[in-house]
Amino acid sequence: MNDMKHYIRHIAIAAVLLLGLTACEGFLDTVPTSSVVDKNAMVTLADAGVACNGLYTPLKYYTLYGTYIPYMGDLRADNIYPRMSDGTGAVIYTWQYESTQSSYFGTFWENYYNVIMRCNTFIENIDACDASSSGEIALKNDYTGQAYAVRALCYFDLARLYGQTYTFDNGASLGAVILTETVGPKEARLPRSTVAQTYEQVLSDLATAKGLLSSEPNLGHFNYWAARLLEARVYLYMGRFAEALTAATEVINNSPYRMVSGDGYAAYWGHEGDMESVLELLVSVLGDIDSDGGFYTMYHNLWFDDPNSGASLIPTLKWRNLFKDTPNDVRGQMIQYDDPETGAKKSGEYWLRKFIGNKDQGYTFRRNNPRVMRITEAYLIAAEAALATGDTGSASRYLNAVRKRADATAEDVTATMELIQIERQKEFIGEGHRFFDVMRTGGEITCDMNDPHEFRSGSAYVHTLKPGDAKAVLPISSDERVSYPELQQNPGYKD
Amino acid sequence: MKRLFAAVVLVLTCSTLLAQNKVTGRVTSSEDGSPIPFASVVVKGTMNGVATDDNGAYTLTNVAPGAVLEFSSVGFLTQEVLYDGKPVVHVILRPDTESLEEAMVVAYGTVKKGSYSGSAAVVKQESIKDAPVVSFEQVLAGKAPGVQVASYSGQPGADTDISIRGFGSFNAGNQPLYVIDGVPATSGDRAWGNLSIGSMNFLNPGDIESITILKDAAAASLYGSRASNGVILITTKKGRAGKITTNFKASAGFSYFAYDNYPLCTDEETERMHRMAWTNYANDNPSSWQSYGSVDAYVNAKVAANYPARDESKYIYKDWEDVLFRTGIAQNYELSLTGGGERGKVYASVGWTDQQGVVVIDYLKRFSTTINAEAKVTNWLTVGATSQYSWQYQNGQQDGWASKDNPFFIWKVVLNDRWPYAYKDTGDLYLDTWSPSFSTVNPVPTYDKQINDAWQNRVLLKGWAELKFTDYLKLKTTISEDWLYIHDRFGWLYGHPNFYAYSDTGGYMADHHFNIRRLVSSSTLNFDKTWGDHHVAAMAGWEAEEENYEESVVNKIDFSYMGATQSVLATNFDDGYTYTSRNSLLSALGSLSYDFGARYYLTATFRRDGSSKLAPETRWGNFWSVSGSWRFSNEPFLKGSGWLTDGKIRASYGTSGTLPSSNYGYMSVYNYTNYGNTGASYPANLANSDLSWEKNKNWNVGVDLRLFDMANVTVEYFNKLTTDLLLDATVPSTTGFSSTLMNIGSMVNRGWEIAVNFDILRNNNGWNLSVGANWSHVHNEVLALSEEGESIVDTPYVWQEGYSFYQFRTRKYLGVCPEDNYMGNSRLKAGNPMYAEGSYYEQGEIADQTVVLKDGTVIQEGSPVPENTWNFYPTNRNNSSNMILEGMTAIPKGFGGFNVNVGWKGLTLDMAWSYKYGHYIWDEGVEQMESDGYYDFHRNIAKDQLNAWTPENTNTDVPRRIRDNGQGGYYYSSRFLKRGDFLRLKNLTLSYNLPRNFSNKLSMSNARIYVAAANLLTFSGLNIDPEIKSNGYYYYTMPAMRTVTFGLDLTF
Repeated sequence: MNDMKHYIRHIAIAAVLLLGLTACEGFLDTVPTSSVVDKNAMVTLADAGVACNGLYTPLKYYTLYGTYIPYMGDLRADNIYPRMSDGTGAVIYTWQYESTQSSYFGTFWENYYNVIMRCNTFIENIDACDASSSGEIALKNDYTGQAYAVRALCYFDLARLYGQTYTFDNGASLGAVILTETVGPKEARLPRSTVAQTYEQVLSDLATAKGLLSSEPNLGHFNYWAARLLEARVYLYMGRFAEALTAATEVINNSPYRMVSGDGYAAYWGHEGDMESVLELLVSVLGDIDSDGGFYTMYHNLWFDDPNSGASLIPTLKWRNLFKDTPNDVRGQMIQYDDPETGAKKSGEYWLRKFIGNKDQGYTFRRNNPRVMRITEAYLIAAEAALATGDTGSASRYLNAVRKRADATAEDVTATMELIQIERQKEFIGEGHRFFDVMRTGGEITCDMNDPHEFRSGSAYVHTLKPGDAKAVLPISSDERVSYPELQQNPGYKD
Repeated sequence: MKRLFAAVVLVLTCSTLLAQNKVTGRVTSSEDGSPIPFASVVVKGTMNGVATDDNGAYTLTNVAPGAVLEFSSVGFLTQEVLYDGKPVVHVILRPDTESLEEAMVVAYGTVKKGSYSGSAAVVKQESIKDAPVVSFEQVLAGKAPGVQVASYSGQPGADTDISIRGFGSFNAGNQPLYVIDGVPATSGDRAWGNLSIGSMNFLNPGDIESITILKDAAAASLYGSRASNGVILITTKKGRAGKITTNFKASAGFSYFAYDNYPLCTDEETERMHRMAWTNYANDNPSSWQSYGSVDAYVNAKVAANYPARDESKYIYKDWEDVLFRTGIAQNYELSLTGGGERGKVYASVGWTDQQGVVVIDYLKRFSTTINAEAKVTNWLTVGATSQYSWQYQNGQQDGWASKDNPFFIWKVVLNDRWPYAYKDTGDLYLDTWSPSFSTVNPVPTYDKQINDAWQNRVLLKGWAELKFTDYLKLKTTISEDWLYIHDRFGWLYGHPNFYAYSDTGGYMADHHFNIRRLVSSSTLNFDKTWGDHHVAAMAGWEAEEENYEESVVNKIDFSYMGATQSVLATNFDDGYTYTSRNSLLSALGSLSYDFGARYYLTATFRRDGSSKLAPETRWGNFWSVSGSWRFSNEPFLKGSGWLTDGKIRASYGTSGTLPSSNYGYMSVYNYTNYGNTGASYPANLANSDLSWEKNKNWNVGVDLRLFDMANVTVEYFNKLTTDLLLDATVPSTTGFSSTLMNIGSMVNRGWEIAVNFDILRNNNGWNLSVGANWSHVHNEVLALSEEGESIVDTPYVWQEGYSFYQFRTRKYLGVCPEDNYMGNSRLKAGNPMYAEGSYYEQGEIADQTVVLKDGTVIQEGSPVPENTWNFYPTNRNNSSNMILEGMTAIPKGFGGFNVNVGWKGLTLDMAWSYKYGHYIWDEGVEQMESDGYYDFHRNIAKDQLNAWTPENTNTDVPRRIRDNGQGGYYYSSRFLKRGDFLRLKNLTLSYNLPRNFSNKLSMSNARIYVAAANLLTFSGLNIDPEIKSNGYYYYTMPAMRTVTFGLDLTF
């Protein structure tokens, strides 16, 4: 009997121990604390505003407008050469990129599709965010318009990076894979569209965006005018000059944006939100200093105070010679000679000192707000488009406006295609235009081997590049094609 | 043996009603008949016990006839004797060699080795205790078949790479589960900054009693969804009943590189190599030297600029090896005591380890303590606790890549004989940048300004209680907490040349704190009963586990004071975050074993796991195993045969799994960042709500034999099939993401393990000699990756069906081109490197260019290709493609070890060798050091470059050296791949037990002195230390150290 009690007591203790925690409700349900589950992330209009900001963050990064988009336009052409005879800079400068070097060239593709996915996700979810007052509805429309405009910018860049210039073959070469909704891994494996089809998508997105966007200046974000200026640029690239002219003149005449004065030109690059900028991207005080708005690599050698450091991009002698006869041109003054006579660590190189850092936020040269579009571009697009449509008078007027802003002593000239392109070359160094300008105007790029710079590149060195050449477009990364063979490689590249 | 077994069976019946007697006797050694002092004599199942005196004599009271007396002593097999009521019991103990009767720790309990039907290897304390290592993991190399171990970094405290029976996982990790005294523990490298921090370092190897490595499903599947990669069970030392004995152990010694790593050209040879590269360049490019007048003048000028001569009148030069490295001093002290009485037992220890690395700033200090105690509260309740606490500080440097702060890298690559150390006139250090392509300055003044350090605190507490209902039914409940706290830092102080990289003015410091707390509660009900020849054991229980992870980082910049080391003294906040996460696991488990007549054994296990890491719909899974064995040596027809001491065949089949490492991988989430000075959010992942654990199906057959009572042979074959592999699968970038976590594909690991052990001499004129060897072969193959069958490239590896997990894919290097236009290829010049063209052709495809098959057959353009093949047509680099390099994988064809143990009287020599062969190493150092002239400026040059191609030296694999080599060796190709075969004397111990009568005079029961060495000898064809991570990837990781220590081991 005693034994029986003994057992009952044991069994009771055992039962308590065995059941113990098993009764805890929700023991296996955990939620992340460092991120937000998607269904809770875009509920209110305020959430939408935060998500709208998220459309721009990859663009300002060094992998896109922070450094590499400028590289693609300037270093790949004849504006800038790399100081080092090896490394990424030399590969870009000498067009030695291959599909196997996925580390830099593959990332354009990845990063733009990351932004496109963000735009598509945003467009699919914005409807769920309630807006009732007219102000709220306008805000919601503006956010939506931004998503379309950012997507347009992405497709435009993909087309010009991975496809031959539109004017070479009327957009017949391969462009981007067009996706306008979010997709899973299976649905994402579409073949590439042509450049022409990609441009159609860009124009369609811009048309939608324009109908939704606010016309008010919106620092760091697309507004109506930014979309319209991008449209002008797209038309220019397509050789649709009349439409380019209409778009550019509309921005010049009706937008609040104005060219900064010649006196203020140098300081402009350190200002945030100057009315010269139609679209500039915002760098942050927090975040990886090496990655955010990394224009320092194009600036002079302050890094490490050491001529052997990462700062490596130097305006070519050809570019410097553009200012030989115009010492007063503010743009020609944006170089700094690093005189070896003045110190042991001086390099004897001429450095570009355009990007001096976002001074309004108190940053050094290493954090610049990347300029995607400036009002000056509208003038030069208008000049080129007017000339192409036979209106030399207007063309000269727009061109001279830019010339005189930079150099008050400049004489008026009659616009020619060559003068307009030279003006663009002077104006946009470090902003990633030159390569595409040469390509779309059917020119040829020559690497200037007479630059006073002992630069060698090995036996595969190519001296000139023209539209239609294999190296005029970037390769699709071979790593990407291993898992996605539907993605056509560009002609002339091996995997 | 049979009698013993019967005795064990008998004790299981209660005998408390019988009379209590006094027993006396003597315990002696079977080796030489000498008395064994301090042997423990215990009435089994009670706390009633004593220790023998100096003469091996004992007296024990209150022993009931029918009780079992348990005699044990370190180094001897435990013996059980059925007490039949006679007052005197003498016992002779046999030295502890392989035994089938000894208990081994297995999943959720212990079994007798001879009755075990799973596959498990046991490593005992004796083979761990003297090795001069921080973590026991470093000693496991070559000790257990099927277990690959690589101590891949020579920095003290670095983690060790262990894989059991191949690689069963893509992204979920291949680390085994570690279980300490029955509790799953946090393991692996838990570093955040640059240091590698092995979290198992906390455990002083001296506190470990034994390690069991569970390999097959029968052994491991009770650990369910985490058991796929095998399980390492660690049992710490427990108190022994009897007189309190104290052990003190001290050792000290020296360390230096264990291997001649990256032999370099001498100064004279380096200059010759520079000269060769510039001369070839000048001859190839006549325009280059025109302004100099002659090739010689040009080459002289270039060499003078790029490898400037020493100027002894101006500078002081030093051997950089002496500047950067030192002979490290290793010290270890341990004090432990063990003892107990009728109602309680305790083991307690403290340990202190201080190990210097070879780099002048590298060191590790560790304090560790253990207290394990148990008490018998009543005759039906026993309670106990185990506890470990340790504190560890590591100071190190950047490791494993080409960084200015990696001394091994800068020593080998940039610091050369002509780099001035200091100015002669003032004695000030020469601090200018030396190499124009690599902004390294004299590292001496900045060494202490590089901060890579870590504190690791660990507390592991376990409490348990065991309720005995009857002799055959017990309930055990356990609760434990494993708390790991790491504070590690990375930074550059004010004055470090790199500080500009993170701050424009004055330094950078990142402080990282994190806590991992793991709470485990489990209860098991155990049944164990014998009826005649039938024996049944069963277990049922549940377990709940919760892991909490908290982390915070603060990055600050701008020190304004030269000596500041704490980030609190830095002016500006740069970045920071806090992070918490949690996961939990709920499980039910059970097992059932039946055996008959000590001949037939059957076991089944079951576990049901639910994990928070998976969606509610998919989170529960069942894991099970069945196994059986036939101990044919106990069959009547074999019983008593002289040659077969023991023999067993066993087989098992079962399932296990691996959970994803991410806690929230199945959810779609937004992350938050900032844009300008406002917030920004974005979709962060491509979610997969179907996420599940990896599924492992595992079978194993084995034969265990003991022949002539002297040779143990075990042969096993295993097959592990893993399906639903967790993979951060590359997805088309057009999804907006580069990868998503998926269950995709399958992989198999199958292979053989053979272990043999001979006791050649056993107490033969005082001599003992045993030798052992083991060999393992694992065939690893990716069976499927996805329905579409694509491959995944992670340069230089590829995952593709039909190839191994670590299959290399790059350009195929074909050596040096023997003549211009070799094989009609106009792109090739004599002396240049050649690569295989590399395109892939399906059988029957029409060749669109010249195709060369592997055997050299040439298929002309326009002809059909006769087999599936890569094109081996030699071409230059630009025209070659990456291809899968058949047969080149980091997975060895075989690996294992040899052990030799020689004893003569008190003298013992132990050797443990480990080997690995048939695998390839990716040596990323080739890029910098064997660049054929490309990276030469101001740099060191590897010795093999001396064999560069010249018109006179054509029989070579090293291409022509030329400055600005557009074809050079620095481009990835199979030239980076080297055969990794090696044989290493991993541990050697020579110890001497002072004569007993001598030590007894000093009131010691035992006194021992020893010399222990790690990595004493290495044989390998590699030019770097061959002990490299199991992925075969090497990139300037600090190579292994050779350590020799002298020790003293005293027992009172």
